Amino acid sequence: MIPARVAAIVIGAAQLGGCASSAPPRTGVESGQSAYARNCLACHQADGAGVRGFQPPLVGSPWVRGDAQALATFVLTGGFDSGSRKEGGNENVMPPFRELDDATLAAILTYVRQAFGGHAGPVSAEAVALARSHLAPAP
Amino acid sequence: MTTPRIISILIAALCSALASAADNDGLVLPKGFTATVVHKGVGLARHIAVRGNGDLYVTTHQFEFLGFDVSKRIGIVALRDTNGDHLPEVADHFSNLDGTGITFYKDMLYVSDDVGVYRYRFSGDELVPKGPAETVVNGFPRERTHADKTFTFDNDGHLYVNVGAPSNSCQEKDRAPASMGRNPCPLLDHYGGIWRFDADRLGQTPKDGTRYATGMRNTIALAWNGDVNALYAVIHGRDQLDTTFPKLYTAADNAERVAEEFHRVTEGANFGWPYAFYDAKLEARVVAPEYGGDGRKLAPAGKYPDPLVAFPAHWAPDDLLFYKGGDFPAAYQGGAFIAFHGSWNRAPLPQAGYRVVFVPMKDGRPSAQWQTFADNFTGGNIAGNNPDNARARPVGLAVDNVGALYVVDSEKGRIWRITYRAQ
Repeated sequence: MIPARVAAIVIGAAQLGGCASSAPPRTGVESGQSAYARNCLACHQADGAGVRGFQPPLVGSPWVRGDAQALATFVLTGGFDSGSRKEGGNENVMPPFRELDDATLAAILTYVRQAFGGHAGPVSAEAVALARSHLAPAP
Repeated sequence: MTTPRIISILIAALCSALASAADNDGLVLPKGFTATVVHKGVGLARHIAVRGNGDLYVTTHQFEFLGFDVSKRIGIVALRDTNGDHLPEVADHFSNLDGTGITFYKDMLYVSDDVGVYRYRFSGDELVPKGPAETVVNGFPRERTHADKTFTFDNDGHLYVNVGAPSNSCQEKDRAPASMGRNPCPLLDHYGGIWRFDADRLGQTPKDGTRYATGMRNTIALAWNGDVNALYAVIHGRDQLDTTFPKLYTAADNAERVAEEFHRVTEGANFGWPYAFYDAKLEARVVAPEYGGDGRKLAPAGKYPDPLVAFPAHWAPDDLLFYKGGDFPAAYQGGAFIAFHGSWNRAPLPQAGYRVVFVPMKDGRPSAQWQTFADNFTGGNIAGNNPDNARARPVGLAVDNVGALYVVDSEKGRIWRITYRAQ
């Protein structure tokens, strides 16, 4: 347990160290896009616009543009039950994505913020690891 | 000065009218059929019903993308043609119903929302019923997903109501990667099937219904086939094979393998959801990955009926109609029209569906290969491959008393009237 978390933080810190002060490496963005395609695109769609009544848009979402650690927490813990579709909610609720490792989730969120978040800044693996460290252990 | 201008405007209007008649408003139809736009858009439409006098009634949804504005609710839209050209000049709306199901039964308008079925009585020729809605069934739990309580009637006084399952595949965590299925799936006690009620008795609750068939994830499209006196349905198959079980299924598998199933629904039938689904590639019912399926393992033989037609995955069958009418050729009599709303869960592969298909029927079974009847609702391009950008999505069907077929679109509420003229 602890070694894994330490390792994740180390990896996250390494990644942060590698890219914090300069533009994110293109490879990171591309793998984020690829990981988005595998984990997120089916619901939020390639254009990040979601599907009316089914899944909310990422484009324009304050979560996507906002605080990186809050965004990571949101995705790790899953979406809200937004009430019935006819009350303005959506049919589907995002499941928790805890099984994604810190680096992969960071890459996804970095891609999402660049592509759909008004070019909000990158999300580091360290920020994801920090978000994860505040959660209760997965059941 | 003005006269030439008026003439040119009239000519332009005439040309535009002729062009839209000639090109069927962009829809592609079999030879001899014509589509005429009878309304450009009533709102976020769902299903449509035609009264004996030709008046049209359309249910609507009124959810907004990022919020809900109750003031925009238009309930049930009513349209009337007063001069015999089948183009309504009078439009009105009533009720605050936010639902899908709508059908005339014994000259009363039955409608449904997420929690009940109601009916309106008409006095004389009024377009909008003045009396209040009567409650036929009420008290279904308000669910977030698969909540439409669409319905149909038999000829013996029964009402059949779709009670969709509020889940994709009864996982412990809905749509979560690798989450296994609850076994037995407790949702099947009260969801995931067709419940039968008394069509004429008011004040019923879900407990007054009897479960007629089960193992049906969500069945918006259901209709009674009077030729063989039996219930038919087209079931929405499950989503997200690949995102939930990426080691077993690819995105292409998800996009192609889970059939949308057309069935004759006999009393007591079980169609296998969530334990199994009909694999369109293997042409067999396989065990769902949430219940130990490995991508090939077959469901127990004989336990669940095979579909009459296995339609492509995620096309979203949203209405079913058995054609009986004086307008269409003999080959169409007794056959089934199905409105496919079109997919969202085929991405990253191209979205598909978005059409009305026809299944020739004889003796209760398909008598020939199904065919696309009305196509090109999207104009051939869906920007960003996102279903919200489709130009139109067919969602509801109805036939009037001369046999014309009405098709309604969900995006703007555009309504077409399709007729046949012998060549």
